[in-house]
Amino acid sequence: MPPAQQRRRRQAAQEESDEDVRQRSASPENSGSDGDERMGGIETDETSQWIKKLVRYALACDFARTPIRRDGIKEKVLGRHGREFKKVFAGAQKQLRATFGMEMVELPAKDRNLLTADQKRKAAKSQSQKEPTSNSYMLVSVLPTEFRTPTLPGPSRVASSEGEAAYTALYSTIIAIITLSGGELSDPRLRRHLQRLNATENMPSMNPNDNNAPNERADAVLQRMQKQGYLHKNVENKGLGDEDSTTWHVGPRGKVEVNHEAVAAIVRKVFDAGEGNEELEKKLQVSLEIQEGKAALAGVAEEEEAERQEANGQPGPSTRRRRRTRADAEEDDEE
Amino acid sequence: MEEEWEPPLPAGYNETNRAFLQAFIARGTLTFREAQTVLAEIKSISMEEQVDPASIEMEEFSEYIKMAREAVEALDFDIRLTRRQAGAGERVWVFINAHSDPPTQMATTHTAEEMAYIKRLLDSMFEEYNTQRMEVMAVDEGQALKVSRPPRSRESGVNGRPNGENGEGAATPADRGLKHSEVLSLLSSLVAEGWLEKSRREFYSLSPRSLVELWSWLVETYNDPEDDWQNIKFCEACKEIITYGQRCSVVECVARLHDICQDGYWRTRRDKKCPKCETAWDGKHFVGERAVTSRAGFQRGRGRKSGGGRRSDLADAIAAQQAAAEDDGEDMED
Repeated sequence: MPPAQQRRRRQAAQEESDEDVRQRSASPENSGSDGDERMGGIETDETSQWIKKLVRYALACDFARTPIRRDGIKEKVLGRHGREFKKVFAGAQKQLRATFGMEMVELPAKDRNLLTADQKRKAAKSQSQKEPTSNSYMLVSVLPTEFRTPTLPGPSRVASSEGEAAYTALYSTIIAIITLSGGELSDPRLRRHLQRLNATENMPSMNPNDNNAPNERADAVLQRMQKQGYLHKNVENKGLGDEDSTTWHVGPRGKVEVNHEAVAAIVRKVFDAGEGNEELEKKLQVSLEIQEGKAALAGVAEEEEAERQEANGQPGPSTRRRRRTRADAEEDDEE
Repeated sequence: MEEEWEPPLPAGYNETNRAFLQAFIARGTLTFREAQTVLAEIKSISMEEQVDPASIEMEEFSEYIKMAREAVEALDFDIRLTRRQAGAGERVWVFINAHSDPPTQMATTHTAEEMAYIKRLLDSMFEEYNTQRMEVMAVDEGQALKVSRPPRSRESGVNGRPNGENGEGAATPADRGLKHSEVLSLLSSLVAEGWLEKSRREFYSLSPRSLVELWSWLVETYNDPEDDWQNIKFCEACKEIITYGQRCSVVECVARLHDICQDGYWRTRRDKKCPKCETAWDGKHFVGERAVTSRAGFQRGRGRKSGGGRRSDLADAIAAQQAAAEDDGEDMED
């Protein structure tokens, strides 16, 4: 298409969209029975503009893997019409589902245990009985689960290029390890796991084909994982000279994107077991579903395998060998 | 009152369309081959039987594109068709933001310093290395590194040349620029994100996606409507921006033609003459990296070090371009 024509089209498209808005407000609403009268023409126009803006904002945020923050919505989308939040948000959800097969889900609030002492005191003071909310959202796919494949990565994921695939594999693996260790992993333990993945120093960069930078420093990658909310690093300063108080947790985005089901799928893949493997399934059940109750045990469990074997009552000597296989399998997965 | 409003969608828009749109957005661009893979997978899932990618016809793909386009148009997104300028001119469908400039487009994933660098990089592509005699519109690594830091007011000799900066650099005096290592990783991530392309000869240029997405911004930023000479020029045949192709042998003339467009174009013309100035068109004057690589100096440089590592090729390229810039008067082999 020649550019001149394109531009005309583009303009036309804009005009059309403006018209759409008007038409939409003019046309009788099919599903709504009440409340129609309240929809003044002008108000609808504005509302759909806000909805459009919010949808665009949500997609832009999610593309960068930054949370869609309520404050951001108010600032960037609604301006001084902050009171319209609920209505606009609902409309945007509808549009996201209908057009893109996505929706915004609220990210889990920060774990109480991970607040600094100061924050805890504040929280205790305000003592609101409400569930803590994060007021941030991310996009997830609402398509049937069969549609989640590497070729169809869903929101938040930038294509299935090699670099992206390696990155996804890494954060998913780390999240799986943390989750199976009871949701918390000390820094040295994480490093040990990374060593087995041959990823202590370097990790594949987002573009491993580039000769300039096929690798990135592992710390830089871990930092990105934190920034994007896949991981959360908790540093507690216990006082002078004390070290080793850094623990790793699953970040809010990680909890949503790599949920327990995904962790289970990773484990099945790594152990090369289909869903038919009852023994493994039982262990997964124990490790993933009764997580909360096991919190006390988790600190003791050194490895996910160890933990599962504990659950099974047979810490075996084969642990080391199995670990190796797992590391190898993961390496294969990443390549 | 939130329930009665329904987003407008084309008739028959369903899960497969949504899945297709998700896959498209995640990639940013789609070629027909990629689309075949995606659609085959979607169909395999929805029909619960294996679908061969090769069985996906253009017609079906077009229908998906049409529906997707209708669905997102009202949201100021669009889908455009463009072609790769080099090679066989593969067609590329691009999912774009209808209102786009580098800040809104890339700011989400890059820091302010990186954005300032990207602006400097574009300036060097479309101003410094886009002269009447050498219309490269691409930079090699060395040139990309030269603009790591904002130009200083004092003459540094290397990048002291103010290149029509419209206050961008001056506006952020605190901008210390990027370290070379940071530039290299930024370049590689821009390549990975599909904004830049890196050629076999290691030149960085704007990808088809960037050219489509940044179309109006580029024209607005780098072209002066008052001027006869335009930094951004268009192919005589397809009217798209040209950054890789052929040029009229008259240096002042702005007629340009894509290699991929030339066959069709000359078929419609009586003689092979420049449509603007009527000079015979020899097809041996280039814009894009070949403005450098077709030079005798560059080829001599390559010949001498044949089989050498990449780095030396690069050094040669830089040397060759500098040499070429010096003996600009003596032209290409003809």
